[in-house]
Amino acid sequence: MADLPEHGSFDGLLNRKHMSRRLSYQSQNSTKSLGPHVGRVVQSLRPQASSGSIRTVPDSDAESEIHSPIPRRHLLLQTDTKHWLKPPPLSPSSSRAVSPLSTPQTNSFTTLPKIPKKSRRGSALSFSSLKEFEDRTQERRASLRPSTINTTTDDDEREGGAGKRWIRWMHKHGMKHWVVPCTILASVCVKWSTGLGSYSGAGTPPMFGDYEAQRHWMEITTHLPIRKWYTYDLPYWGLDYPPLTAYHSWLFGILGNWINPEWFALDKSRGIESPTSKVYMRFTVLASDLLVYVPALLLFLRAWHGSRSRRTQNIALLALLFQPSLILIDSGHFQYNSVMLGLTLLSMNFLATGHDLLAAVCFVLSLGFKQMALYYAPAIGSYLLGKCLHLEYKSGIRLFLRLGATTLFTFYILFLPFLPPFASISSILEPISRIFPFGRGLFEDKVANFWCASNVVFKWRQYASTDVLVKCSAALTALGFLPSVVGLILGSFNTRVSSGGGKKEEDIMQNPTLPLLPYALLTSSMSFFLFSFQVHEKTILLPLLPITLLLSGAASNSSAFEWGVLVNNVAVFSMWPLLKKDGLGLQYVALTVLWNWIIGANPLRFRGSYSFIGLLSAAVYTAIATLHLLELVLSPPARYPDLFPVLNVLVSTPVFVLTWLWSIKRGIEVSWALGGVGLRTKQKGDPAGPSTKKD
Amino acid sequence: MSPQYFRLMYHTSRSTDFEVHRNWLAITHSLPISKWYYDTTSEWTLDYPPFFAYFEWMLSIPAYFIDKRIVDLNNLNYGAWSVVAYQRSTVILTELVLGVAVLRFIRGSVDPSTQRIISASLFLHPGFLIVDHIHFQYNGFMFGILLWSILMARNGNLLASGALFAVLLNFKHIYMYQAPAYFVYLLRAFCISPNGHILLPRFLSLANIVIAVFVLSIGPFFLMGQLPQLLSRLFPFKRGLNHAYWAPNVWALVTALDRVLLKVAQKTGVNLAIDAAGVSSTTRGFVGDTIFAVLPNVKPIHTFIITILIQSVYLVKLWRTPTYKSFVAALTLCGYTSYMFGWHVHEKAILLVLVPLSLLSAENHAYFRTFLIASVAGIFSLFPLLFTPAETLVKLVYSCLWIILVIVPLNKRVYEFPRTLPSVILDYTEKAYLAGFPLLQLFVSLFPLLRSTPLATPSSTAGSTAPSACVSTDSFTCPDPDIQLQPSAPGSGSAMEFLPLMVTSVYCAVGLTWAFLRLSVIYLRSA
Repeated sequence: MADLPEHGSFDGLLNRKHMSRRLSYQSQNSTKSLGPHVGRVVQSLRPQASSGSIRTVPDSDAESEIHSPIPRRHLLLQTDTKHWLKPPPLSPSSSRAVSPLSTPQTNSFTTLPKIPKKSRRGSALSFSSLKEFEDRTQERRASLRPSTINTTTDDDEREGGAGKRWIRWMHKHGMKHWVVPCTILASVCVKWSTGLGSYSGAGTPPMFGDYEAQRHWMEITTHLPIRKWYTYDLPYWGLDYPPLTAYHSWLFGILGNWINPEWFALDKSRGIESPTSKVYMRFTVLASDLLVYVPALLLFLRAWHGSRSRRTQNIALLALLFQPSLILIDSGHFQYNSVMLGLTLLSMNFLATGHDLLAAVCFVLSLGFKQMALYYAPAIGSYLLGKCLHLEYKSGIRLFLRLGATTLFTFYILFLPFLPPFASISSILEPISRIFPFGRGLFEDKVANFWCASNVVFKWRQYASTDVLVKCSAALTALGFLPSVVGLILGSFNTRVSSGGGKKEEDIMQNPTLPLLPYALLTSSMSFFLFSFQVHEKTILLPLLPITLLLSGAASNSSAFEWGVLVNNVAVFSMWPLLKKDGLGLQYVALTVLWNWIIGANPLRFRGSYSFIGLLSAAVYTAIATLHLLELVLSPPARYPDLFPVLNVLVSTPVFVLTWLWSIKRGIEVSWALGGVGLRTKQKGDPAGPSTKKD
Repeated sequence: MSPQYFRLMYHTSRSTDFEVHRNWLAITHSLPISKWYYDTTSEWTLDYPPFFAYFEWMLSIPAYFIDKRIVDLNNLNYGAWSVVAYQRSTVILTELVLGVAVLRFIRGSVDPSTQRIISASLFLHPGFLIVDHIHFQYNGFMFGILLWSILMARNGNLLASGALFAVLLNFKHIYMYQAPAYFVYLLRAFCISPNGHILLPRFLSLANIVIAVFVLSIGPFFLMGQLPQLLSRLFPFKRGLNHAYWAPNVWALVTALDRVLLKVAQKTGVNLAIDAAGVSSTTRGFVGDTIFAVLPNVKPIHTFIITILIQSVYLVKLWRTPTYKSFVAALTLCGYTSYMFGWHVHEKAILLVLVPLSLLSAENHAYFRTFLIASVAGIFSLFPLLFTPAETLVKLVYSCLWIILVIVPLNKRVYEFPRTLPSVILDYTEKAYLAGFPLLQLFVSLFPLLRSTPLATPSSTAGSTAPSACVSTDSFTCPDPDIQLQPSAPGSGSAMEFLPLMVTSVYCAVGLTWAFLRLSVIYLRSA
């Protein structure tokens, strides 16, 4: 009660009613709980604190009767300006990378935002941000036609595959932190269940299949000295993969030997097919997958989709983890592709975060696991070369030298047991000749590439010798990946940092051509698949990785999504003869349907869009369905026992060729967006485009 | 809900039940109806009620067109791809009954979004994955009918509910466990008006329908005079108190106690009246009958009386509060009582408890906690049905996934902070119990490895994990007679072979018994 007069002096005249209210208000806030002394301190502070808020009420008003107490205002309400209505700028500590497109876009949809030509730190230009932009322009285009508005939004609500609906449900029920663990658990479950089935070469002595090859390598690496690894009994599944595979086999062989020595007894264990050894082998695949591929995927989401929402990242994870082809080949057929792909993916992630040397190491490891990673080499190599060009002259050279040294050193470490300090220089020839067998034919089984498909009408082997064909295929392959290489190098050369611009090498995180990289990987690996020598049908997994990455963040009405779905489905279909031989027909159907269901693609429904890809998909799916039905009903005529595989090739190859062309087209589009193809831009001094000028 | 995933389970190992059902296909297809219950070509004779036999007969018609050898009576242990694919597909197809029933539950429920979780949890229940899709039975179909019947009760159509339950009884007589609750509820809520008048027309219509169902089912056999044979097939009382693998109920605890007491008596030399037959029973491999060494023996009539007595408590409560919720709780408890005290209970019968209990799980936190404990212990107790290492990972990962996706959102909805000290202690004890399951699984999966390596001493490892590990000899056999476990270590090792099974059984029995007591108290104390 003693405090009352002071109030009066501050707030002016108070009538009785409000006095009491005021009192209780005040006492609630401070006095009662903190005691009189503290209360006084608070009151002495109070005039200062509220002076800002009652600036609108001049002192002369203090004379007038105030009928209500002055409410305490929140900090935000005290300010006159409404700046807090606008979203705050993303803080540098935010986990999301700032995408340069997102800010100007909100203000200007109509004008094409010009992407800053020089990359700055923090302006991670990812392909997902490019895609975001694409989506928005599409939305805008759609919204211009009022008739389509409702249909698109309805589609978004209803469609969204099961995965999307599940993620939405999880987020709504406060379980978003469980999404990633649950997704991984579910994928483990699916992979393991696939593994319950048959595998390559099950019960087919004397040679069995890929399963026995991998098991045999565990057997020889654990029991023989390193020098004999590449020479021991070559006709029976001699080791023909690079050393990292051998080390990997050795590790798992040691572990297996510790559990049960019978599984990997030298020579005696050949063709062992006991249930427990099968379980162990399946376990090794799953463990490698979980240790390499899954972390790489998670990192990919952070590095490449960092600017997207958490839900989009989760959907992307679902699409990537349940990719049917990889599960079928790794867990079903039996191989360790996920390790190689995971290492490449890691390398991509490091490129995106600007750790070029680590990226080089990872890519060399990927090459050292399976030579197939060579399919990616043109893209990765030219990206790194482009970065050297992009940088200032001196630092570019320095980076080039460091990259070269790192690469060579990693290779040296990988091949260490076969190199001078430990062995004579000639011994390196053994693994090398095993890894690159040029003695085999142009193609083995029916594989959906250019050579095999054109072989139907033009018998290559009758017209040319193997040597010529090898050269032909090499030339065609090089021609095939040339666009991507040119795009990457030219793109970064055009945007190179002028010397004296004040930019340090450390400032430049990544090349501006980074969004091109997935397309370049796709172009390069697809051209290898289509045109190179000695291709297996399983090799389609390599082009599948970049296109699935592209698909993963795409909206379900974008072209990347539709191409991704089509190529994935056709790729699974192209492996059908192999899977049928392995006895994986059931898994083939189940996993393909499951994946399409999860990502919300329905091959059976014609979307009604008369775009090229829509029509193509409809035609291809019809052909696939017809082929499957025919195979079910008819047996092939005696004259053509390979009728169905050949038809399969003839359906798949055009799709792959078109994908290759599409990736080139998209590559050109993206590099155009990045600052022109080969057109040395005149507005060099004007890096800010029309859209940024507005701000 | 996609059944695609279940299709991957086609390749899992096949249990005896798979051959049992194939044999029934053959019996019903190739024999006239008068010989169905007399055939003994295979040791797996037809011992389900007639509706199930009719059902098998219907399934056998397409089977004949797919592969004639499926329905060949003498083609025992036929395991070709055609029969596997066909039989597994029928399970998936008939499970759609369950799917439709749980979908119908969502419509018209008080809280559709919670009911959606419960429905999804039922349809994707790990119990069904383990018992139906891997082990092989038609439980999804049966529980579909049961849920349909409960749904009818919820919607107020008690006549249809009763009829459906009668049909269900004629598919599989194990649902007799729940019959008392149905009987009381239908009588009280349908045939007697709230003020105590008997509604005769209603009673007669209900009785007529039920009788009609039974006439359809056993009528033909009654006319042929095969009723005694049918009954002797359906109710074989020649089996023992416990199944080969002790179903985790009260008797498992009692049997374990008996073994412990026997050990104690042998060690300390206390002069107890030890039954010699009981001692030999503990060391025998195959169990015909469980004979206690120390404790007094149990006869079928005893279990029967105990079950009826305990059930009657709930039935009185149900009679007084004949509401739908009360009915579901009483239904659960009747099944639970039979499971806990029944004679020769099979571990698969836990589904009889878990399925209706799921419907109550979102009522309040107490029910939810009970549901959680019973589900975890119950599902874990089903794990020994799948014994190969390949299936271990599937059952574990799938169950974990199910637990996360069901428990977390439900817990968020019904969570209550424990208010009193006893409830806090209880809360922590229950959490500690649940946390023991990963350790138990670790023990079970590592035990064969440790046993085979000479470095590890089994007794020390077992003693640290399991309280009852001092029992070195016990009467466990494999869950199914045809199972060949890993080649066992010679000598004393074989006696330890079934220790993990016994520990599993006892540990689950503790949880299930506790959940049973909990549920009883909650139900009896509810308004």
